[in-house]
Amino acid sequence: MTSLDPVPLSGRQPRAVRSALAVLEEVVAAGPGVTAKEISAALKLPQATTYRLLNLLVGEEYLVRLPDLRGFALGRRAARLALPVVPTPPAAARAVVEHLRGMVRWGVHLASYRTGQVTLVDRDPDHPPSDEVVLARHPHASALGMLLLADQPDWRALARDLRPLTEHTVTDPGELDARLGVVAAERMARQCGQVRADRGCIAVPVHDPASGVLVAGLALCGPAPRVAEPNAELVTLLREHAERLVPLLA
Amino acid sequence: MRNGALSGLRHRSPVHGLDRRHLGPPEVLAQSVSSAAPAAAMAAAPAIAATTAGSGTIWSFVIATVVSLLIGSCIGRFTRRMAVAGSLYSLTAKGLGPAAAFTSGMALLVGYGVLVMGALVGSATYVEALSERLGLAGSRTTLVVAAIVLGALVTGGVLARVRLSARVVLAVEAVSISLMVVVFVVLLGVTPAVPAAVTGGSPSLGGIAAGVLPALSAFIGFEAATALGVEARRPFRTIPRVVQWTAGVAGVLYLFATFTQMTGFAGTGLAAVDEPVPALAIALGQPWLALLLDLGIALSFAACALATLNALVRVVFSMARDGIAPAALGATHPRRQIPHVAIAVVLPVVVVVPVALLAAGVPPAKVLADLLTLATVGYLVAYLLVCLAAPLFLRRIGELTPAPVVVTGVLVPVLLVVLVAFVVSAWGGLVPVVMGLLVLAGLAWLVWLRCRRPAQLAAIGVYDETVTADVLVIP
Repeated sequence: MTSLDPVPLSGRQPRAVRSALAVLEEVVAAGPGVTAKEISAALKLPQATTYRLLNLLVGEEYLVRLPDLRGFALGRRAARLALPVVPTPPAAARAVVEHLRGMVRWGVHLASYRTGQVTLVDRDPDHPPSDEVVLARHPHASALGMLLLADQPDWRALARDLRPLTEHTVTDPGELDARLGVVAAERMARQCGQVRADRGCIAVPVHDPASGVLVAGLALCGPAPRVAEPNAELVTLLREHAERLVPLLA
Repeated sequence: MRNGALSGLRHRSPVHGLDRRHLGPPEVLAQSVSSAAPAAAMAAAPAIAATTAGSGTIWSFVIATVVSLLIGSCIGRFTRRMAVAGSLYSLTAKGLGPAAAFTSGMALLVGYGVLVMGALVGSATYVEALSERLGLAGSRTTLVVAAIVLGALVTGGVLARVRLSARVVLAVEAVSISLMVVVFVVLLGVTPAVPAAVTGGSPSLGGIAAGVLPALSAFIGFEAATALGVEARRPFRTIPRVVQWTAGVAGVLYLFATFTQMTGFAGTGLAAVDEPVPALAIALGQPWLALLLDLGIALSFAACALATLNALVRVVFSMARDGIAPAALGATHPRRQIPHVAIAVVLPVVVVVPVALLAAGVPPAKVLADLLTLATVGYLVAYLLVCLAAPLFLRRIGELTPAPVVVTGVLVPVLLVVLVAFVVSAWGGLVPVVMGLLVLAGLAWLVWLRCRRPAQLAAIGVYDETVTADVLVIP
């Protein structure tokens, strides 16, 4: 994303890199809202140096300034510094998913959005899902991905590259925006042949009732022409099971 | 975790609806450079500065460049820390509070609005001059038609998505600056020898100081990228750099243009000439250069109109989101992600006024000069306020260091003197009357806000805050 200048480290730069990492660590240790003065005092760094490092880290989006402009917190980009950890869903939640599998003839998958991308946490062993890397990288194509995009204040931040995976993949930003509007309004996403030409999916969200945060998505995947039908009964069944997952996942 | 540190986060930014985080550095740079319109200023500003500074004109431009860089550093104190759409208005609010921010907002509305009008008049004037040089009939009708066509083109430009709009500005400005550099390099090449007057002589200090006035007005608009803070991809890195770069690039271009013109008119003195660059071109037997020159300046003014208009509508948009202008002006187009209602309200004003002035028979050179004077006053007020606000802002957020205080301590007296000198120099014409009326209108608006919307007035300073989606939290 960012082109880095191929300049060798020289002079005081190694110390600056160490200080920058120390500043990052200090923000984690002190918690969100820590101020520049506090960081400078804790690390015994000169104030001007601390302010420059902080501005640099904010510019690179590893840190963010909170709305009072004094306090700092970790930015979304800092998540890239660690391997995403996705907790395995509890046995009770897996039982709900298994119950749905027993009632339908299509594949049933459960995805978590905790890491900010689509991560399958319970895959249907009888109906293997699409490549998980594809699902995580191209949220604009999959039903589970569209649920995630529809929940964003600005989906463009998550889906920069609208590449076609099949001839049915929506690649026009305007059209995708309109479809995401429908997804948000209906609280359901549907795609037919957008990831694989012969397959389709219907997915419904699981929100945390207290904070409203999107935590998971439950998807039902089958042959593309069948998914395109209204499937009112299947959708009702899917929603009922998603509802039962709320207290278990939120 | 500290309790409540993250509880104040909103779910979406108060300036939502704009095309957030989408513009690359070249597009943002084009916005600032075009708004400063260096090509037009390269041709005109050195001669104006030379009327007082004489052979010290170069020094006037050196001082103006340093002052602009320092103003840029004050703006950078904010833009490294917050991304705004309302340009200096939203920045001033964070350092000096509501009344000063409101004043800055008024000054920017006047500065940006009148500069758009002036740029349209300027572009139309040079289109007309171009058609005359090509042997076509140059007349008032040509002038008015040119202004209307330019108005329509700018309308198209500002209604496009900001990315397209910024790229058009970038392309036009690149052509314009290339043309000017060609013109000046050729002129310098064919000028016989470098005479002593450029390097030697003893210009008076007072003359040089007075020359800073027109030199500084050649820089106005260099901060325009600040209004694209929300739309820039990496605002905290891009915006401060772009503003400094623009001041630096414009400074180099002006010094080059001044050197060329002073060399060319070493015998008679630059100040004695009415239209120095075309006169120089013809005197040196290169009349075709005058054509390129007219084209370059016309393009420069056109890009300036579009870039400044982009900044103007974002100030209006921010005032509406702050609740001190009608809320409808804060609406954005769902697909194009531009403040389309603000554009619809602002555009007719900035296009009709210059067209009407030209159609009414006022000499275009006078219209242009008066509009530029008025715009410069607006800019200077806004610059003065943002420079005052910078150290106060840093103290408020607990990040004050000695350097910003020193910079503000140097800049504020300089800008005050320049501002007063500017108003005094314009005394007697129509400009002070218009200025007085605008100040009265602003005061009336402020009093109305104090009575009717005190809460909104107290809370002004909307910017692209960190929202819940930007923060990494433990799941």
